[in-house]
Amino acid sequence: MSSVDLKIMRGKVENINALPTIPSTLKRLSVLIEKPKITLDEISRFVANDPALATKVLKMVNSAIYGFPGRISSVSHAIMLLGLNVVKGLLLGVSVFEIMQKSMLGLWDHSVGCAVVARLIAVKKGLKEPDEVSVAGLLHDIGKVILLLEFSKEYESAMEDAQTQGVIISEAEKDHFAEGHANVGAWLAEKWCFPRNLIEVMGNHHRPQLSRIAQTETAIVHLSDIIIRARGVGFAGDNSLPVINAAAFEMLKLTEADIKEILKEMENSLEETEDISQA
Amino acid sequence: MKKTVVIVSRDVVLSNIATRLLGNLYTIVTFSSILSALDYIYNSIPSLVVVDVVLDDTAVTDGINNLKEDPMFRQLPILGILADQMIADNFDFLFIDDYLRKSGLENELQGRVTLGILRSERVVEINPLTRLPGNISINRQIQERLDKKDDFAFAYADLDHFKPFNDRYGFGRGDEVIRITGRLILNIVKNRQRENSFVGHVGGDDFIFIMSPELVGDASQEIIDAFDQIVPAIYDAEDREAGAIQSFDRQGNANAFPIMNISIGITDTLSGRFSHYGEITEAAAEMKKYAKRFKGSCYRYNRRQAADEEA
Ligand SMILES: [Fe+2]
Ligand SMILES: [Fe+2]
Repeated sequence: MSSVDLKIMRGKVENINALPTIPSTLKRLSVLIEKPKITLDEISRFVANDPALATKVLKMVNSAIYGFPGRISSVSHAIMLLGLNVVKGLLLGVSVFEIMQKSMLGLWDHSVGCAVVARLIAVKKGLKEPDEVSVAGLLHDIGKVILLLEFSKEYESAMEDAQTQGVIISEAEKDHFAEGHANVGAWLAEKWCFPRNLIEVMGNHHRPQLSRIAQTETAIVHLSDIIIRARGVGFAGDNSLPVINAAAFEMLKLTEADIKEILKEMENSLEETEDISQA
Repeated sequence: MKKTVVIVSRDVVLSNIATRLLGNLYTIVTFSSILSALDYIYNSIPSLVVVDVVLDDTAVTDGINNLKEDPMFRQLPILGILADQMIADNFDFLFIDDYLRKSGLENELQGRVTLGILRSERVVEINPLTRLPGNISINRQIQERLDKKDDFAFAYADLDHFKPFNDRYGFGRGDEVIRITGRLILNIVKNRQRENSFVGHVGGDDFIFIMSPELVGDASQEIIDAFDQIVPAIYDAEDREAGAIQSFDRQGNANAFPIMNISIGITDTLSGRFSHYGEITEAAAEMKKYAKRFKGSCYRYNRRQAADEEA
């Protein structure tokens, strides 16, 4: 079977200006923006729960025109710097997927869930900026969104292969694409001048041993990805569980008690996000 | 108080028409020649000047051009009145901001004058880095509020340890910090008080903002929190971890400097009787100096007198 050529993939990714979001986000967004007294906090929380909106805001704040290229990787910081009016205008311009695959919805839930777990671990590890780790969790699989959007036929057959062969999606991708979703996501992040840490986590979340400047963050997202799959939240493109990278897990030095707590807090947080998304 | 419009024309009929059309909105001062008008313009800076342009009269064109060459008067809008048959295609030698044909006076003059004044008021001197208004606008904002006897709070903010940061990382990154600070102050102030608030950039790492006294404290705290959250991200990872950078002090000695802070000094019109903008900026700068004596970011609000009155 022929796989999609690297140059063609690059070309497509380079041409992306914005990612569409899912219909339910758009619906809630229009309600939120209509509110006469909306706070920066409210809008931050909303944006931080949608991969497409988060990339939109980060793209703008990190653009050379705005003046903070490669500096800002937290949604709330981005929104504080852009200001309510700019953010509102930006969000009003968001588009929605023309064709809504069921797998896309699953991917959305997987991403939001991964962000939740990543934040919990970051807090547990006492990281100074849990927001930034949470964003990395939210965006780690943006490459899948891109591939599903730009090469839907090929990606769907990759997902089918993963199903029938019982392998994880990153393995199945290899037969269909010259480059996997992790790097595709990192390409876009690079093109949009996202901070280096964020790019590294996105690109290496399946091979955390390669990270140099954001080792802890990569390890956290790597682990969160697997935890949220195991919990059965959303759909990451396959029904298998990737193997946890031993070195990454060791590095986080999580005790059994830590893990128990994280799992318990995860249940509470997931309930909360469900409330937000159904409100 | 009505704004003043100066009309310069040798043509008495034109002066009279213009006075009739504008007199109900503006205070009108008429002159028959630009030279006689200059003295008045220099001393009382009107809101706009209407000039009957006679191209072959070099005194008129020279007078206008001299006026506009001075930076003090570059902002002063000049509306030229041109004869209907006059060709208007080259303004390299005639520094006017807008023109109107004589036949258009009745219909257009009032609108053009009003719009011209509005436009000149919107164009303020802008700091190229932050795009925030600078000292002239700041002083004007304060004085207008003082004249109207509005109650307002005036806050003066600047950064601690900015110079060593600049020395260590270069001014490019220093500029980033200034832009971030400006953005944060602007967004937080406007978010908490949309109407009647004002944010200006004095220059360097000095900013000011004007708000109502009851809102200024919370806004300052929010600015401090946001600053302390975001600014460490501009440091290199190892410096951020260490919580300090190695740089040189003013005497050139190597030293460790902590991560930058923001100090804000606030005063308000309730706590003292101010009549001139200089007094209020001085009082706030004094409070800022006091705030700087405390470690870390903080604001200090001089509302002693107001508190005494309440007590
Ligand atoms: Fe992945
Ligand atoms: Fe994933």
